[in-house]
Amino acid sequence: MSLNWIGLVAALATFFGVWIGHVTVRKIDYISQTVWLPASLAFILGISLELGALYIENAYISAALGILGITVLWDSLEFWRQHHRVIRGHAPANPDNPRHQHILAESSAATTIDWLNRAPSGRQLLADELHNIIEAER
Amino acid sequence: MNFIGLFLGIAALIIIGLGFLWVIRAEYHLGYLWWPYFLGLGIMLVIGSLLVPSVWGSAILGILGASIIWGSTEFTTQAVRTELGWYPFNQQPRPDPPFVGKIKRWPSPRL
Repeated sequence: MSLNWIGLVAALATFFGVWIGHVTVRKIDYISQTVWLPASLAFILGISLELGALYIENAYISAALGILGITVLWDSLEFWRQHHRVIRGHAPANPDNPRHQHILAESSAATTIDWLNRAPSGRQLLADELHNIIEAER
Repeated sequence: MNFIGLFLGIAALIIIGLGFLWVIRAEYHLGYLWWPYFLGLGIMLVIGSLLVPSVWGSAILGILGASIIWGSTEFTTQAVRTELGWYPFNQQPRPDPPFVGKIKRWPSPRL
């Protein structure tokens, strides 16, 4: 019997689309002074990939472009979500980025701490433990 | 016009969206130490997709497998989110996965 490679192509496009988007959105948000510029560029790139998917005859390339395009369109939305994570303190603010400096001044929850950069302890952290982590950062 | 890419993209969006939900529930009920079993399941689904003759069936199975592989790398981060109080923390004891001692010594993947 012959193997059907379309599933592997779809799997690779899905995994790398999600992975690259996940890392890139965080890195660009950290340094970008605006949200609208990277979000708009991701939107244009995502639409272009979808148009490519529609016009290419080859099913493998169409599948890869279509899946990657949708993940890039999602990344466009993620730039706004990441901006709000920084405001809520769920993602670290960059003290050298003027947009993040503004957030740090305006939002009491915003922080330079990367809360997720820790190993699970197996129990819920107590309020004073969280407080000590914040104090240690200052 | 070739609609396969667009339709598979929309299918991927739905499957990845569901990924957010099942990772939260699986971490809550099982705990993050189950991640290798989800990684294995995802890899098996991707390999299985090679054997499905239908183009759509194979592609959907591949997307599902990749999404479960990605989910397995999110377990540890999700456990930290619950410990920080960002998501509900399960106070009840959770079942140990088989070979829990070995799994604890492995670095859990975080991408």
